[in-house]
Amino acid sequence: MSRLQRLWRNQTQVDFPELWKTTLKVSAALILISAIALLVRGVNLGIEFEGGTVWEASAPDVSTADVRDALRGVGQADAKIQFVGGDVLRVRAELDATDASSVAEVSMALANLTGQSLDDISFNSISASWGSEITSKAIRALIVFFIVVAIYITLTLEWRMALAALVAVAHDIVITVGIYALFQFEVTPATVIAFLTIMGYSLYDTLVVFDKNRDYQRRSALVGRATYTRIMNSALNTVLLRSVNTTITSVLPVLSMLVIGTLVLGAVTLAEFAVALLIGLLVGTYSSLFVAAPAAAWMKERQPEFVEQRERLEARAQSRGATVQDVEEVAVGPSSPAPAPSADRPTRRPSQPGTAIPPRPRKRKRR
Amino acid sequence: MSRRSLVSLVLIVAAAAGLLAASLVVGNRPLLGLDLKGGVEVVLVPVDDPDRPVAITEGDLDTAVDIIRDRIDGLGVAEPDVTRQGGRVVVQLPGISDQQRAIDVVGQTAELRFRPVCAELPVVTFDSEVELPQTELPDPDLDDRGLAPCPSGIDYISLDTSTPAEDVLERFVVLPERDDNGEVVTRYLLGPSTLTGAGLSSADSSFRGEFVVDATFKGGDQGADKFDEIAVECYSGTPYCPPGVAGLGQLAVVVDGSVQSAPSVQSPNFDGRVVISGNFSEQEADDLALVLRYGALPIEFQDPTDPQSDSTSRAVSATIGGDSLRAGIIAGIVGLALVFLYMVGMYRLLGLVAMLSLGVSATLLWVIVAWLGETQDLALTLAGVTGLIVAIGVSLDSNVVYFEHLKEDVATGRMLRSSLEQSFLAAFRTIFRANFASLIAAVILYWLSAGSVRGFALMLGLASVLDLVATYFFLRPCAQLMARSPSLMAHPHRLGLPTREEAMSAGVEPS
Repeated sequence: MSRLQRLWRNQTQVDFPELWKTTLKVSAALILISAIALLVRGVNLGIEFEGGTVWEASAPDVSTADVRDALRGVGQADAKIQFVGGDVLRVRAELDATDASSVAEVSMALANLTGQSLDDISFNSISASWGSEITSKAIRALIVFFIVVAIYITLTLEWRMALAALVAVAHDIVITVGIYALFQFEVTPATVIAFLTIMGYSLYDTLVVFDKNRDYQRRSALVGRATYTRIMNSALNTVLLRSVNTTITSVLPVLSMLVIGTLVLGAVTLAEFAVALLIGLLVGTYSSLFVAAPAAAWMKERQPEFVEQRERLEARAQSRGATVQDVEEVAVGPSSPAPAPSADRPTRRPSQPGTAIPPRPRKRKRR
Repeated sequence: MSRRSLVSLVLIVAAAAGLLAASLVVGNRPLLGLDLKGGVEVVLVPVDDPDRPVAITEGDLDTAVDIIRDRIDGLGVAEPDVTRQGGRVVVQLPGISDQQRAIDVVGQTAELRFRPVCAELPVVTFDSEVELPQTELPDPDLDDRGLAPCPSGIDYISLDTSTPAEDVLERFVVLPERDDNGEVVTRYLLGPSTLTGAGLSSADSSFRGEFVVDATFKGGDQGADKFDEIAVECYSGTPYCPPGVAGLGQLAVVVDGSVQSAPSVQSPNFDGRVVISGNFSEQEADDLALVLRYGALPIEFQDPTDPQSDSTSRAVSATIGGDSLRAGIIAGIVGLALVFLYMVGMYRLLGLVAMLSLGVSATLLWVIVAWLGETQDLALTLAGVTGLIVAIGVSLDSNVVYFEHLKEDVATGRMLRSSLEQSFLAAFRTIFRANFASLIAAVILYWLSAGSVRGFALMLGLASVLDLVATYFFLRPCAQLMARSPSLMAHPHRLGLPTREEAMSAGVEPS
């Protein structure tokens, strides 16, 4: 059976704990790069946050596209272009009004475009439109949100899962912001909204994965037979196709926005925004499987209940001269041959091929 | 079972279609944000006042910008763009219909004051044939609280309305109260007072049998104590604040030289918590609360409605060109088509159902966004639209979670027919938990934040709730109806599911 077929039937046998060893290093490296980029380069805040310069000129017969072309020539392609009262052109760009030579360059470009003398082009400084109050309120809201969501997950699942989910969300935000810092993409209010969208998506995705894991933890077939990490591994294998599918359906519209918006029709504004979302969505799915899951497993393995279970499994394995790995495989994975029935363990029907979990007994249902 | 699912299905589709039709008939349309559609801009130029002791600084203008931004945020979720451009304040608001209201809100520039009412005066008309004797207002005899007994022995009726220059905190003034059209309905002779909007900490409208405004003063001698000093005089009806029509002294709320309200003082001691009532409509109570909250601007601006002034209001175009918008729309359609192909390829008939379910929730979302655009000035910006595109992915995820659960159940040897319902219940628990977390995020962000973050929170919350609605009331009955079809049950491939035999035999093959 091909890999894809296996994936389609939720019968993959990906060894997640093995993968985690690599992915955790990758994540650590990405976070390190992000942190360095943030510290060294900082984020490139847009005009909405930092203010800049505003130009005004009478321009009755000029189109937005003409202005955009003229501004591209002086390196201000992402300026905000607006027509006021119909025929007054207003250009806002993230350029310090005291930077006389750059300001003059733009003024010159606008004068050439509108066919007027330099004196007819007025310019002025412009303040930030995103108030510092909005930022402080948003940060306060985020802190409250983290606390409440932690409580919510603790109530519905447990505190270790809550902590793991928040670690994953933090991981996603740091990496996305880090990429912005690294490539010096401009951060606009729309970008901030994209970051928030990513946060929501990442949390949602992690919760779906954890919920599946809890399902598995409760299934009687696994109780007492596998270490927590192995249970998690089975759950992740079943949820893998769902993660792949959801990522594809989420990413397709964003990808089409990136490709069509940027390459084909040349809409600059959409591009960076789509990049932020794209990276965020991918990192968000990745972190559910490769950050939140190992974090939860790591904490659970230190819970006395599961430590005891692990020791019991190890002891049993040694009594039969097998390794722990084998015991785990017997308990969860169908890939290794079933062990010979032994006295301390009742003979088990070979588990359903291809799936980790034997079928639940069918209940008689009323019609 | 089958009838109930059919009813649910018909109801949800009818509800979506009906609401969409109603919304289109009423003419509700989503309000597009400044970046997508443009709007109105009000340019405020400070009054050139030669008597002003200190020149206007950038700091003053920045404070004014913050206050104006707060005021507009207080009106709803429209995302304004308020900036200082040189020595002017430029306010851009989405939605052309809002032009007059924008000017009204932005234009209220004077300090908020509370003054005791000495007397209510008739609206004087100047075409009277009898020449009324003019009487000058005396200078007040201020005590150490900044209050003064009302003047006696003068002809109140003949008093002229005070000019803006005469409207000084430490003097007696005659100020008008106006109705919505700006017509003077009555005038008041008001005493001096030093209580201003700076003493207030918050104000909000609420409904307690009628619409009232709850105002809270800051503690200490600039707020609550100062209010109580005046309240004692008004409640007892002393010469500082003589009894009015209701037998109690009144305290006037004055903004921009106009009396907004002159409520009777019904207690000598408020301890900072004041309830203002007065047959307000909901809008009036909201507006008064808004004025109380954000009353004071540090500078006076020229009136944008006055054609002589430098302040103006004009229409502005979108900041994102039509080219970007068109690209965005094409990208959205192409993206959706790709998603459609993928879902149908992956899940066949179930994929089609998922897309229909998405259609139901998208229709409801459009109706709600259009309605909020009309009533709450909810502006749809580029960020909002993109958020909705991501919401498509999340919304489809609910379906994917269900389908995968189904596949897993079938693979473990369950009958497809019973799995359809059993898997739904299990999957819905997961979907509910995950969406509920998003909803918590939305509520907290909406409640505690401001500006465009608030608009985002609203969209996130709506998308989460609608996802649950569509999943439970559309996807579930669809699945139940499928379970009734013998031919579908016999051909699981049409649902993108393996047959029982395939499921049972799959793992035996060497991998």
